[in-house]
Amino acid sequence: MFQYIVRRVIQFIPVFLGVTLILFLIATYLPGADAVQLRAGEKTMSPVLKAKIRHQLGLDRAWYIQYGDYLSSLSPIHATYYDGSTPASPSTSPSVRVLDGSVALIIPKISGSVPAAGAVSYDVREGVPVLRGQLGRFAIGTLAFEFDPPDLGVSLYNGRPVLTILSEAYPYTMRLAFCAIFLEIIIGIGAGIVSAVKRYSIWDILVTLGTSILVSVPVFWLGLMLQYVFGIWMQDLTHGAFYLPVLFEGGSTAPFPAYVYYILPAITLASVSTAYAARIMRSQLLEVNNQDYIRTAHAKGLSDSQVLWSHAIKNAMIPVVTYIGLDLGAMLAGAILTETVFNLPGIGYAIFKAIVGRDFAIVFGGVTLILLVVMVVNLLVDVSYAFLDPRIRYGGLEE
Amino acid sequence: MRNRFRTTVVVMAACVLALGVLSGCAPAKTTTTPGTGAAGTPKSGGTMSFYIGEPAYIDPYNTQESEGTEVEQSLFDSLTRVDPLDPTKLVPAAADSWTANADATVFTFKLNKNGKFADGTPVTAKDFVYAWTRIVDQTTANTLTKKADPSIISYHLAFVKGYDDLFAGKTKVLTGVKAVDDYTFEVTLSKAFADFPIVCAHPALAPVPQALVEGGVDFNGTKVAFGDMPVGNGPFMMAEPWSHNQYIKVKANSNYYGTKPYLAGIDFKIYKDTEAAYTDFVAGNLDFSPIGAGQIKAAQAKYGTSDNGYTVNPGKQVVLGAENATYYLIFNMTDPTFKNPAIRKAVSLGINRQAICDVVFEGTRDPADNIIPPGIAGYEKGAWADAKYDLAGAQKVLTDAGFPGGKGIPAIKLSFNSGAGHEKIMELVQSDLAKLGIKATFDSAEFPVYLKQLDAGKFQIGRLGWIADYPIADNFLFPLFQSKAGDNKSKYANPAVDKALDDARKIVDTAARISAYQAINKTVQADNPVAPLMFYKHTRVGSARLHDFTWDASGLGDFATVWVD
Repeated sequence: MFQYIVRRVIQFIPVFLGVTLILFLIATYLPGADAVQLRAGEKTMSPVLKAKIRHQLGLDRAWYIQYGDYLSSLSPIHATYYDGSTPASPSTSPSVRVLDGSVALIIPKISGSVPAAGAVSYDVREGVPVLRGQLGRFAIGTLAFEFDPPDLGVSLYNGRPVLTILSEAYPYTMRLAFCAIFLEIIIGIGAGIVSAVKRYSIWDILVTLGTSILVSVPVFWLGLMLQYVFGIWMQDLTHGAFYLPVLFEGGSTAPFPAYVYYILPAITLASVSTAYAARIMRSQLLEVNNQDYIRTAHAKGLSDSQVLWSHAIKNAMIPVVTYIGLDLGAMLAGAILTETVFNLPGIGYAIFKAIVGRDFAIVFGGVTLILLVVMVVNLLVDVSYAFLDPRIRYGGLEE
Repeated sequence: MRNRFRTTVVVMAACVLALGVLSGCAPAKTTTTPGTGAAGTPKSGGTMSFYIGEPAYIDPYNTQESEGTEVEQSLFDSLTRVDPLDPTKLVPAAADSWTANADATVFTFKLNKNGKFADGTPVTAKDFVYAWTRIVDQTTANTLTKKADPSIISYHLAFVKGYDDLFAGKTKVLTGVKAVDDYTFEVTLSKAFADFPIVCAHPALAPVPQALVEGGVDFNGTKVAFGDMPVGNGPFMMAEPWSHNQYIKVKANSNYYGTKPYLAGIDFKIYKDTEAAYTDFVAGNLDFSPIGAGQIKAAQAKYGTSDNGYTVNPGKQVVLGAENATYYLIFNMTDPTFKNPAIRKAVSLGINRQAICDVVFEGTRDPADNIIPPGIAGYEKGAWADAKYDLAGAQKVLTDAGFPGGKGIPAIKLSFNSGAGHEKIMELVQSDLAKLGIKATFDSAEFPVYLKQLDAGKFQIGRLGWIADYPIADNFLFPLFQSKAGDNKSKYANPAVDKALDDARKIVDTAARISAYQAINKTVQADNPVAPLMFYKHTRVGSARLHDFTWDASGLGDFATVWVD
């Protein structure tokens, strides 16, 4: 199992590099990808100013240099070579060291000796210092290994750190995803079981019909309709709790407890996948119920419910767990439509806004985060098989 | 099994039902109903809530869009202030008085000696020197990241002597600004500009306290970056740090030197879109909001319309006043077709502006009869003679010029930026052109690409909207028609106009200067380098709680006079 996990983690690397590389190429060659101009609205920005801002943000460098810079800034550890010399052009600020060049193209070369402790800024490009050694420093002679939190850069729109923007947005997405997945598990699996056990009954027909409708309804339409029905049409009955906009908890100004704001969005987000989960559960359970071991279990004198809960459901669950697991990954990646319809400031909306505003720092940061989350969730889903089905084992040693 | 199964179903059904009716347990909420219009006596206290989108910056050095400016202007006072109901009038703010030298190149501002920042520190001329230098200096750091994040609005100070050197990084000082003494601030310009005191009213040009900008602001024992909790000299101060994407709360500044506001505070609520804000307004959760699309007439019927178009009082709550902005078509004067003044004139006469306002904007914009909108000193009704719908006149112009029925004019392209709602306008323009016998096709692109096309002169007819930075005629005529100005996309070049624009800037006497700009406007309109289409208008509504709340033509709220029930 351990070997399997290690192998999977190593497989993350090419996936990660591939996705981010494609993004970088899109960002570079997409027509109209001019975030700097968009900041000036319909007024003409002075070309000198535009060039200056692009330079300061490093956007005037070749895409592969920017890509390397991006990968480097994600790394929590950096090697630096302190050559001990006096810089030819000393910086005006004592905390900023002059970056003279690089050793073997990767390790930056800095004038002066290894600093004692604490953070030091390197003047990477004109006027853009980069902090190094914030979390500590470990030196072998003149070669230092410096530890820093990952840096996703700053928003081109308002200069705020991308990590801060994403960490503000992510809790909303997580809460929404977990609420939705909770509904999906309870209602999806429950409905699937009901319709399989009560095959061809009115319940089965209702579930089949209901899931067909849910699968066909666009999410944004459902969201708007729910708002209309519960928020506007039933406003007096619900005391306006679902009245648009569900003002994202709203801090001290919020008239309702926070969970109320997640009810309609969670139902909206869970709708399609709940329907799928119910259908998968139904078909799997029907298939399992025809297996020999179920007949054997009945023959051994076990009650219907013992057979169902101890033998049938557990085996029928495997594809459902796969589906729900992948779905959780997708939900954690942000639900652009649901978040937009319900005014939830989650990561999906943040990325959508960044794409519209060509704020690629946020797009890259958001995609990086989503990639990591999706890869980890997928891994967890694969690992969970082993617990659900004893026949499934990963890795060479345990087989 | 049956029983257990039934139990499961019952539990699930209960969960679903619980979700549906959960809101029944929610607290009751107050809703506002339109008042009767009684003025009443102003009362102190209470807060008002105000719609904004997430601002980019509320730190003055980079306040750029309307959202950030709205918040920032409640926290800071610049040297001067434009009267909210009379844009031609400049009133004292941080400066008590100001004088200009004879050729309008040196301006001396006498600061109000009672001026203080919200932390109690006096505002001195040095704070202006620091603030203005910070705007122009391209190595200025963002207080949140401590990384260089140059201001994109430094152009406000492009007139100030030494701007180019500081901007280019040749020096660290802005030589044109000087603190003569604590309360005398002197500005030397590199070129005459008599309207400069109006530029100084811009909210971004406010003083900032250097110590707090660089050291951070104390809040409950922690240091908050100045960018998230700016401390200014305005009527309000931050109540807590900016809660990004949620709200910005400000409270009355007890150290304010001017007339204290009636309000105890303002909640700037951050919404993702205007529709969501309006729905919240209707529900009684918001005091000042944009009106949702297609609901202007219904809102007017329900809430009543403001008498002057800008001031909200109970029962007169919808504000539809003109903004300092014009939507116009641009003719490429280097294009072989549009080099011909007769064709430009005919196109301008041939466009049914009223139809565009009615069909596309439900009457929420007015047809433009001038490039200068009505709220600006120097506006003259109908000053652009060809900015009116006269189909027969347009056809006659074409016939006289040798293009009867549009014959001989090659098919043209209408360029615009896609995805911003301009398609509908251009469709009407296209059908109007067809009536003149001119065949037009669309050439749309994403905004940055479109702008590059305009700059490169690769268009025939384009479009743009011009929103004034300052409510002065110069802010329309100079950027749009001076031959070397970056926003002069039609490439209009008239040496007489260039000279007249330079000369007008030297006229210190306001009335004489305004007449000079009117004369320039007359010259330009005869050449039709652009065709003004529409004047933008406010489409906002206030709640019945608000009294005497003015939202001026520049889109800035006058929070000093408003009081709430």
